[in-house]
Amino acid sequence: MPSNRKIEPISSGPAPLAEKTAPSPILIEIHNVVKVYSSAAGDFTALKGINAQVGTGEFLGIIGKSGAGKSTLLNMITGVDHLTSGEVIAHVGGKTVSVHAMSENNLALWRGLNFGIVYQSFQLLPMLTLVDNILFPMDLCGLYRRRASRERAMELLRLVELEEHARKLPNFISGGQQQRVAIARALANDPPVIVADEPTGSLDSATADTIFQVFEHLVENGKTIIMVTHDNSLAPRFSRRLYLADGEMAAT
Amino acid sequence: MMRPRWRKVFSDLLDNKLRTLLVVISIAVGVLSIGVIAGTYVIISEDMSVSYAAHQPANIELRTDNFDEDFLATIRNTPDIAQADGRRVVNLRVRRVGSNQWVTLDLVAMDASEVDHLNRLDPISGATVPERREVILERNAFDDLKAAIGEELEFELTDGSRKTLKVAGIVQDPTTSAGDFLAPPLAYIRMETLDDLHQPRLFNRLYATVSRGQDNDDEIREIAAQLRDRIEKGDHVVIRTRLSKTNEHPMASTVNAILGILGALGVLIVFLSSSLIANTLNALLNQHLRHIGVMKLVGGRSQQILAMYLALILSFGLLALAISAPLGGQGAYALSAFIAGKMGFTLLGYRIVPIAFIIQATVALVVPIVSGILPVINGSRISVQKAFSGDMPSGEKRREHAKPADTAPRSRPRFFLPRPLLISLRNTFRRKRRLVLTLFTLTMGGAIFIAVFNVRVTLHDYIGQIGKYFLADVTLDFDRPYRLSEVEQAAMKVPGVVEVEGWAFISAEILFPDGMPADNLNILAPPADSALVAPVGLKGRWVHANDEKALAVSEALLDKFPDLQPGDNISLKIDGKEEAWQVVGIFKFTGREGVLAYAPYEYISRRTNLANRAYSFHVLTTDHSRKNQDSMAEDLDKYFRQEGFHIREARAGLSRMDTAAESLDILVTFLLVMALLTAVVGSMGLTGTMGMNVLERTREIGIMRAIGANDFEIIRTVIIEGMVIGIISWFLGALLSFPFTVMLSTIVSLAIFYTPIDLVFTPSGFFIWLGLVIVLSVVASALPARNAARLTIREVLAYE
Repeated sequence: MPSNRKIEPISSGPAPLAEKTAPSPILIEIHNVVKVYSSAAGDFTALKGINAQVGTGEFLGIIGKSGAGKSTLLNMITGVDHLTSGEVIAHVGGKTVSVHAMSENNLALWRGLNFGIVYQSFQLLPMLTLVDNILFPMDLCGLYRRRASRERAMELLRLVELEEHARKLPNFISGGQQQRVAIARALANDPPVIVADEPTGSLDSATADTIFQVFEHLVENGKTIIMVTHDNSLAPRFSRRLYLADGEMAAT
Repeated sequence: MMRPRWRKVFSDLLDNKLRTLLVVISIAVGVLSIGVIAGTYVIISEDMSVSYAAHQPANIELRTDNFDEDFLATIRNTPDIAQADGRRVVNLRVRRVGSNQWVTLDLVAMDASEVDHLNRLDPISGATVPERREVILERNAFDDLKAAIGEELEFELTDGSRKTLKVAGIVQDPTTSAGDFLAPPLAYIRMETLDDLHQPRLFNRLYATVSRGQDNDDEIREIAAQLRDRIEKGDHVVIRTRLSKTNEHPMASTVNAILGILGALGVLIVFLSSSLIANTLNALLNQHLRHIGVMKLVGGRSQQILAMYLALILSFGLLALAISAPLGGQGAYALSAFIAGKMGFTLLGYRIVPIAFIIQATVALVVPIVSGILPVINGSRISVQKAFSGDMPSGEKRREHAKPADTAPRSRPRFFLPRPLLISLRNTFRRKRRLVLTLFTLTMGGAIFIAVFNVRVTLHDYIGQIGKYFLADVTLDFDRPYRLSEVEQAAMKVPGVVEVEGWAFISAEILFPDGMPADNLNILAPPADSALVAPVGLKGRWVHANDEKALAVSEALLDKFPDLQPGDNISLKIDGKEEAWQVVGIFKFTGREGVLAYAPYEYISRRTNLANRAYSFHVLTTDHSRKNQDSMAEDLDKYFRQEGFHIREARAGLSRMDTAAESLDILVTFLLVMALLTAVVGSMGLTGTMGMNVLERTREIGIMRAIGANDFEIIRTVIIEGMVIGIISWFLGALLSFPFTVMLSTIVSLAIFYTPIDLVFTPSGFFIWLGLVIVLSVVASALPARNAARLTIREVLAYE
């Protein structure tokens, strides 16, 4: 359910995450997850029995090379794709659910309420203005009244410092700005978990750093963030790291 | 403030205007045609009969010998007769003073007090009740004569003298000759004017309404039989009987049948447009997969997405309805007015037909939903992963992975085809479901198009067959009988005349075994060896010179006597006397004008005391063209008049055939319009398909450009693909046109001629459609091809 916390502006600066070492309650459990893709060319095992946990308030980095299975693992966690075997259990919103036991329809609503998802390619709807893109999840999940939704959407745009562009279409702003809108949209229903798949992959280093700062700020404000990246240089900025190689957990 | 989800629907509607236009027009075409036909059907069925009934049509019309006012008074006292009027009808030639153009018309004389009784007239302009020496023209007579009100018309009387009458007004007579296309035009005078025309003030027509069963054929027939008996007991002769219901126009069933055919074509157009809608929505959902994925990602449930796309489809329908409802209303009234004008009745006025609007609204809203529901349900149920990967929800999956067999080296093709052509051919069959829907739409459009051409030729061929019964180039009708040799000698002096035949004629009534009248019968009597009749026999034989009380009858009689065989006797009432005549043969002929029969001149002329004489002569000339016939008719008329013959009319042989052919051409034009509409829907389907195919292959086009394909090669690839679809649809349409021709010809011929007719196929429909479908394919592919060629490599590779 949505928190009543005030959204803090980014300019308040990130907290030193590495110092957050206190044990946190488990939010997501990943048990022996296997994902096999079948095609005419044969079967390909993308995940080979992954076991992992995600704690509340963590900024978890899933790091690995292209084809290591990072995005596939993220899709298993959010229920975007079906697993071949294993189980993903989520303890969010005061309930414990087996993610892949839910129907596609229930999964959509559950995901809308509990996960904010950010992709490398932003995935904004091009025909909607920035504010409408942020309003969309609230409209679909029906969590806020209409007036409150609008106020919240503007507040989120203010958070990502794009308030003055609220009426623009996504194509009229830069890639970095689009990614900030995507983050604002991910926060629309105030989900406890933000999942980001290479969110800085298509951005220049300065813009990427800004986006990273946004994430760090969110973690500081209590969000759990799971972020996939192939860039090992970002590793120090995560509170915890999972390394993947060829569909398996790796040491470093 | 609009919610984001509805704002997205709104944007989807407006962002791709060409796509929206394509879908809206494809729905609107079907909705418009259905609206026009449904509206016309309602207006015509209501107004045709109401207008007819409002003019007090006579249930019984009897052609008799002369009778007077006293006799009419006794008729009025006959049981079951509500009203009875007497009129005198004289067939005369008339022309504008100073003009050479004669027109033959039926001059109806009536008491001024009877104008408002039976067969009421509608005023168009001027007076409706003529004074003495004045004439009122019926609209058709006015059209033929082009005389102005106040102008003098010159009438040629039966004794050869001429008399002028002043035109006092123009009226429309919706009842007197309703449904009789071959009836002469009418004009009206008062009884007193008969003195000026050297005619007795006596009646020869009786018009009556019945007091019971005004809409019951059996009761009207029974009362008419009683009335006829009473007239015959009063020493008068009934020559011909015509019966009509009060509340049903004589042409109602024919018009309704024709509207039924047009309605069926309208339904077909809706059906075709629905396949186009399904195709377009499939493609739209395909393009929107990423949007659906995003919606599901942020919490959108299937029913919410379903509702959004249903709202989009309903918006297409509402837009189509907004275009087609007002146009449909106007179109229905315009078509009704056209039919009313042709049929000679008046409409009750412009109005919105609620049921037509309801049908339009239902079609506009329900058909797109029905056609689009499957792709929309599939689309709304798709998983996020499939949506992002672009997997088709309909089961028509993209081939992302080559089958193992495909990786094997390809054997060299047996025959050489250029690589771009091979790509076009392969592209054609890539989206099989879409191809099937497009082919279905184009094939149906083509099949109807070709069938309409075949129907047109079939109808004209039938008219040509009917023409075999009227081979004379000129028909001469005289006011008195002349010796055959006398007319023949005179006619042969006119250059170009080859042969002259004198024909006799008698009218009769066919009776059922119980003595009740079954139908009227016109018995034409050419010489038995006439060269001017070439009958198409069905059973039995043609008449012989020595036949007595024997006749060959048209197949229309089989409706009344289905078991009739050559050799059977039928009862006829001729000049009030019942006689048994033998049917020697049955021939093919339209039932439109009732039953026709032929008997030998040799017998009929003796029987009518006109041996070797005739009123009517049929002339064969060297040139059978309509132009020559008209000029020969004029020459013969002039010549016989100069020679002192009392000629009433010289008519070109093809004049009646041409009138019939013109009426058919109107029908064929309507059918062709409907066929063109189906072709339009078909070509829109092809445009949509090509647009979608090109859009989906944007990346592939980019790769082609990157490896050296120029604009021409890309455009050619797309256009050849469109042409391949067009040509396949032509083959299928050509095959399907055969059953369509059979179906359409049978329905039309039964509605118009009351008999099935022989089918004729013409290559012209096939070739015209081939040309048209190729042009349509090129045009339909040109725009997507141009768009594809315009894209830069960067744009296409960035696509998706």
